[in-house]
Amino acid sequence: MVYRVGIDIGGTFTDFALLKGSEVVLYKNLSTPEDRSLGVMSGLEKLAQMEGLPMDEFMAQCDAIVHGTTVADNTLIEMNGAVTGLITTEGFRDEMEYRRGYKENVWDVRLQPPRQITPRRRRLTVPERILHDGSIHKPLDEAAVRECCRRLQKQNVESVAISLLFSFVNPAHEQRVAQIVAEEMPGVHISCSHQVLPRSPEYDRTSTTVVNAYIGPRVTSYLERLVTRVREAGYRNQLMVMQASGGVMTREYIENSPVRVLASGPAGGVIGSAYAGVAKGHENLLCVDMGGTSYDISMVLGGAAPAVAGWNIHHRYLVGVPMVQVETLGAGGGSICHVNQGEIEVGPASAGSEPGPICYGRGGTRPTITDALLMLGILSDTSEFAGGSFALTRDGVAEAFQAIGDEMGYSAEDAAFDCWRMVNANMSQGVRRITAGKGIDPADMCMLAYGGNGPAFAAIQAEDLGINRVLVPKASPTFSALGTLVADPTIDEERSYLVSADSVDIGKLKSLWAELAERAHRYFTNAGFTAAQVTAKYQLNMRYPGQNWALTFNVRVSEGLGDLAFVDGEIGRRGIEIFNRYHMQEYGHIREDEVPEIAGVRLATSVVTPSPTVGHGFNAPARLARVARTRRANLGQGYREVDIVHGADLEPGHEVKGPAIIEETFTTIVVYPGWQALVDDAGDYELVRTAGPVVAAGGS
Amino acid sequence: MSFELNAKLAARREPLPTSAEVDPVTASIIRGGMETICFEAATHLGRAASSAIINQSNERNGSIVDAHGRLAGAAIGTPHLTFVSGLTVRYGLMRKDDYDWGPGDVFLGNDPDCGGGHLPDYNVYAPVYDDAGELIMVQCLQAHQGDTGGKDPGGFTLEATDIFTEGMAFPCLKLVHRGERRRDVFDMVVRNNRFPSFAGDLAAMIGGVQHSVRLLRELVRKWGSDKVKAAINYNIEHTERRVREEVGQWPDGTYEADVFVDHDTIGSAKDIRVHVACTVSGDQLTVDLTGTDDRQHLVGVWNTFANSRGYVMTQVVAAMDPGINKNEGFFNVVDMIIPEGCIAHPPPNRPAALGSFHPACEITEAVCVALSSIVPERSAPQVYKMGMPNAVIGFDERGRMWMDQGVDSRTCDTSAVQGIDGWGSCPVSLGNLLLSQVEDAESRFPVINISREMTRDSEGAGRWRGQPGSLNVKQVLEPTTAMAWMVTSRHPLRGMCGGDDASPYSNRFKVGTPDEHKVELSANETLPVGSVIAYQYGGGGGFESPLLRDPGAVREDVLDEIVSVERARDKYGVVFTGSVEEFDLQVDAAATAARRKELRESKAA
Repeated sequence: MVYRVGIDIGGTFTDFALLKGSEVVLYKNLSTPEDRSLGVMSGLEKLAQMEGLPMDEFMAQCDAIVHGTTVADNTLIEMNGAVTGLITTEGFRDEMEYRRGYKENVWDVRLQPPRQITPRRRRLTVPERILHDGSIHKPLDEAAVRECCRRLQKQNVESVAISLLFSFVNPAHEQRVAQIVAEEMPGVHISCSHQVLPRSPEYDRTSTTVVNAYIGPRVTSYLERLVTRVREAGYRNQLMVMQASGGVMTREYIENSPVRVLASGPAGGVIGSAYAGVAKGHENLLCVDMGGTSYDISMVLGGAAPAVAGWNIHHRYLVGVPMVQVETLGAGGGSICHVNQGEIEVGPASAGSEPGPICYGRGGTRPTITDALLMLGILSDTSEFAGGSFALTRDGVAEAFQAIGDEMGYSAEDAAFDCWRMVNANMSQGVRRITAGKGIDPADMCMLAYGGNGPAFAAIQAEDLGINRVLVPKASPTFSALGTLVADPTIDEERSYLVSADSVDIGKLKSLWAELAERAHRYFTNAGFTAAQVTAKYQLNMRYPGQNWALTFNVRVSEGLGDLAFVDGEIGRRGIEIFNRYHMQEYGHIREDEVPEIAGVRLATSVVTPSPTVGHGFNAPARLARVARTRRANLGQGYREVDIVHGADLEPGHEVKGPAIIEETFTTIVVYPGWQALVDDAGDYELVRTAGPVVAAGGS
Repeated sequence: MSFELNAKLAARREPLPTSAEVDPVTASIIRGGMETICFEAATHLGRAASSAIINQSNERNGSIVDAHGRLAGAAIGTPHLTFVSGLTVRYGLMRKDDYDWGPGDVFLGNDPDCGGGHLPDYNVYAPVYDDAGELIMVQCLQAHQGDTGGKDPGGFTLEATDIFTEGMAFPCLKLVHRGERRRDVFDMVVRNNRFPSFAGDLAAMIGGVQHSVRLLRELVRKWGSDKVKAAINYNIEHTERRVREEVGQWPDGTYEADVFVDHDTIGSAKDIRVHVACTVSGDQLTVDLTGTDDRQHLVGVWNTFANSRGYVMTQVVAAMDPGINKNEGFFNVVDMIIPEGCIAHPPPNRPAALGSFHPACEITEAVCVALSSIVPERSAPQVYKMGMPNAVIGFDERGRMWMDQGVDSRTCDTSAVQGIDGWGSCPVSLGNLLLSQVEDAESRFPVINISREMTRDSEGAGRWRGQPGSLNVKQVLEPTTAMAWMVTSRHPLRGMCGGDDASPYSNRFKVGTPDEHKVELSANETLPVGSVIAYQYGGGGGFESPLLRDPGAVREDVLDEIVSVERARDKYGVVFTGSVEEFDLQVDAAATAARRKELRESKAA
């Protein structure tokens, strides 16, 4: 048997998805925050046991271990990265503090500054200057570089970011600075901007490089620990790591650019969604992941989750590498409900998993959304919770909501219902704000809900947004692990090249793409793939002069690397044609009198690896599911007796008519009034709106 | 006569008539829905517009005004614009029968004498009717346009003595009638603009409000007109209640401030005065600008009435809990007295372009200074004190004009507030505007940016200090024209509660040559190849006496080369052992105590 293992480490649980043949086995265990690789190893041992194999044999049969980690995100959240210094061009010491003028809240004069990764004393400058055409305007003052090293050493700097103006055009000065730093500060971690993010403008590139330097040593040492452990346990292949772009790549690649694993956790879930949604016949998906602390929203368009490079503000720092776009609202099961000056508010503060909601019985005293669900009868203290690991308690819950009711002038049940309404409204508005940015009407999409709390709200959310169909995969609570398993090895990089599209230097364009292709070739070869296995998307970033944001599009998609014959005298004209088409599509107009410019070239390369087969279709005979019991619950239309169905009792073909509640092992699916749940041939759920306009049944 | 008109436009409006009741949560959900739609409209404009000031700098605002002309909801952009756009719509509402308003119509207004700000701030708005034909609300989109068809590109003419020099004014112009674009009107508006991208921007604004009107009609259908009207009333009343609670906590009394603009735009007069008296009486606030300069010969320093109201409100809002929903409820608590004929309430036909910079910002600053004694924890001026960034203008080989402007504005007016040192590059209210970058500018224009670092010892000192100013040095590689207008040199941005003022702005041309000179008022010069210009930005003001600053924080500033050892000793009274070079700097507690005593005594004497 050949195995592939996907592993996703979250705040509370580490999720595992084991692929053997076309079958997927899911497993969850508690994370081990002190050394997360320990939880990974104990989970792998459990999988080996489940397969009836000794650990070394199981590991030897693993073709790939694919891993999504939050170690980079945690470093930025906790601000406990390496002591970092920055060497930059004389005259430009303070860009990191200026942030291009950006501030997150235009109304709050008490907005706190972000904590500086590189306070001014560790931002040092050297005389040198390269111009936009790559020419050297002022030579590098090497003595000044050595003096910088001396000053950084005195401050015990562990990691040095180097970012000089126009290094993406001519990296000679940055390379020389890196050599000197390596000589003067042996053992220090070095991040060069021309390697981390070789494109303009300077703040974007510098910020990304500084973040890379800050998280780099932590990510590297964590991965080294994990690699040592899996090797010792008998694993023989390269460890693959999830990136924010939604692709995975080898540890070797990640170690040169650790910033690429930031935000990779949510990306795994989106990739899993895209995969499952497409398999079931839905290419345009609104993906909602509601866990304990947050509500993550993302979109799959045309079967793909687009990774956007550019203005990605992440934990208050700009990180310009490609990221699958995931928007996070502070609305999860643990979000705290309270009254602020006569208005009910939900979140963003969260009770987390410790002490957690009041109904967890672990000392929580502030009412949360999970508590509201208990009040509404959507959750129950007589049913199993979280896979039977503990039972919910009503102690203190009604009293907490009565305190809200007292302020608002009504009962505890009314208070819980209003909290439910508020969180619903917050989520709908969050979705609308994100789809608006893309000019998309959510009503045209299919919703895919996952995370422990997603399926409890999905259908009512969908109704509010005009969506008639919701997919709830059975694997939804471990979706991010599944995502790492289906994600393909990917390298997505770009190089700046600013030129009017009517005067392109063909040689220059070729050499940039050739350089990117050579890098991809090297890393894929080291990972055990051949150049012929690689799919290459040659892309241009283009814009009208004066625009800051470029549009990225394919000019050539090829199987295999290296054939640049398509870069000919017509490339500029073809670029303008495609660009104008995209501009019309995106922005509704083109500027006929203006020649667009090329801002850069990009090469996205990937290799297809085996993924689980996702079943679909509705071929099993339709029949109503068995109702286990009823319970008093309020599903938006007042309290009444509502059917309760056990997920374990359901098989393909079963139907559950709303109002009803389906209790699954790790989640609760609410079938709201006017909705119906169908179980497809793979055992996954599809919620369909039966009242009001319903589109023709699809999915097979 | 615009004074009478302004009084009518600013008069308090009644709640919308409705028989429906609404619970707080439903009201909140409807408000959220309206704000999200407003956000969609502004986002649509951002995506569709072709001019950089809209699609990159985000200088665009969405707001919803109810059928009585009350601000009912707002989204993104800058607070300064949020509180201005309502009066243009009120003018339209006054004339709605004359102008045959109906479903599907879209209007344009920008007239300074009919509720507008300065001419470039085009307000495109569209009424929302319910299915029974009742007007419920109006969706507005306001955006700064790159030109207004006046004498100078951009619409800023230093010597303008009337509005007609600056371009075309539209009181209330119907662009779309019952869903059909009026081609003749549209083309005439487009003709009166220099930039070819303007037609697309105007079309994008129309598209944005039409998109929003569709969604708002759906919202009205979903909840019913009566419920929506009740929700608007509730939300405005709720904000009013919240604002009254805030004002009610402030001690009764009158708090005054004077702030000065160095000179008018042609230098015909100095020390242009803005006087503000903020009176708190119970839960009511009155902002009285009586005493503000009203010399009729002043040039270029006339701020429109609507702008003056908006710029007062921007600072009042900053002084309160940022979580209060932004709507008409604020205006219901704040009485404004803005004397007719003063520079904050000009007679008809005065130029308006540069007045939106100064004295507009000084009005905001004066409100901040006045309130600083009672709301110190929220007193940071929301201003932009530069006259204008240096504009460098030339022509390319095809004869097309290019202009490099604004790349170099850094650390402008980033003042401290109680407990927080000034930080970043501008006050929070301008935090949506993204500054351009050297690598983009130099790829387009024949210039080299030499420096834009913070300047040591230029912070407004204080217990909490302002962000230092920055020196922005640029060299031109071809013969070019450079334009500048300087203010805030003799009257820098004020510190708060005993904190030092920010450092003055200054500007030097042809640096390092025998012709080097300081720009005192304005400049419009030809620069030969290789010329260097250097603009010193002022940074932010301090908060409370620098002698109260934590010596440990001064040590950090010295290590960060924001403050020199000498300034630490003479301004903050902090004395060190060790050296900056060796990073072993330590506060000498005894010497510091002695030095602070000495400085306090010499100040007292």
